[in-house]
Amino acid sequence: MVVLSAARWLRSRLTDRFWRVQEVLKYARHFRGRKNRCYKLAVRSVRRAFVRSTKARREKKRFLRALWITRIEAASLEHGLKYPAFISNLAKSQVELNRKVLADLAIYEPKTFKSLAALAQRRRQEGFLAALGDGKEPEGIFSRIVHHH
Amino acid sequence: RYVRQLQRLQFLFSPTAADARGARQFVEEAAQDFARQHPDVVLYVSPRSGTAPLVRAEYLNGTVREELIASKTSEEIVQLITKLANQSGLDIIRIRKPFHTDNPSVQGQWHPLTNKPSILTVQGPRLQPQ
Repeated sequence: MVVLSAARWLRSRLTDRFWRVQEVLKYARHFRGRKNRCYKLAVRSVRRAFVRSTKARREKKRFLRALWITRIEAASLEHGLKYPAFISNLAKSQVELNRKVLADLAIYEPKTFKSLAALAQRRRQEGFLAALGDGKEPEGIFSRIVHHH
Repeated sequence: RYVRQLQRLQFLFSPTAADARGARQFVEEAAQDFARQHPDVVLYVSPRSGTAPLVRAEYLNGTVREELIASKTSEEIVQLITKLANQSGLDIIRIRKPFHTDNPSVQGQWHPLTNKPSILTVQGPRLQPQ
């Protein structure tokens, strides 16, 4: 015979509520207060935490770049150069190192960084001479641009 | 030469349970082909009644990964174990940095006295005033 709906004594019961709740609480375990234990509070906090983490990925790039710039500034001041002078003269000498690499060099290879600072300083002096001086090329010139074809 | 990181696969399912039907079909039909195609993986099949059918993968670095195969067809199980065979045993979490070195510094790591004149660090016999 055709039965269109189930009998009344058959009930559909939710049996894995525990695991559904744990799926959310496992991301809230390191939170402070009741939101690491109580599901109702944890749902809200976990959702906000995820939203903040997605938004923070764009901020992280800005934050790290600022950190690198601070470190390069500190390292170049140790060698007597300011950060804008260092970066601009390095770019004019066709040294295409980015700030991440420069910061790592400043920490782990201090002698290499010292030589880069000396290079920037020399290029700076040559720039001043070219602008103010008499037009004679100094020996061992660093300001000639290399063209790769 | 490529060394497969998967050491062994253990299939644990019961011979009578309904959700282990795909596992039984797999063992009957596709297990031999899989074993022939992957000669460096050992397959173990053992009966286990009363629990859900699962496949346990053990890797060369010791990690053991268990996957449920309840109510899966034979093709799905083949796909699953080929995925397990192509993995390494490293745990599947977010990699913090895509690089790692044991010797990060060749010239000596910077410390506050690297760029200071050495009169501050050198402790020799008492310097005579010249």
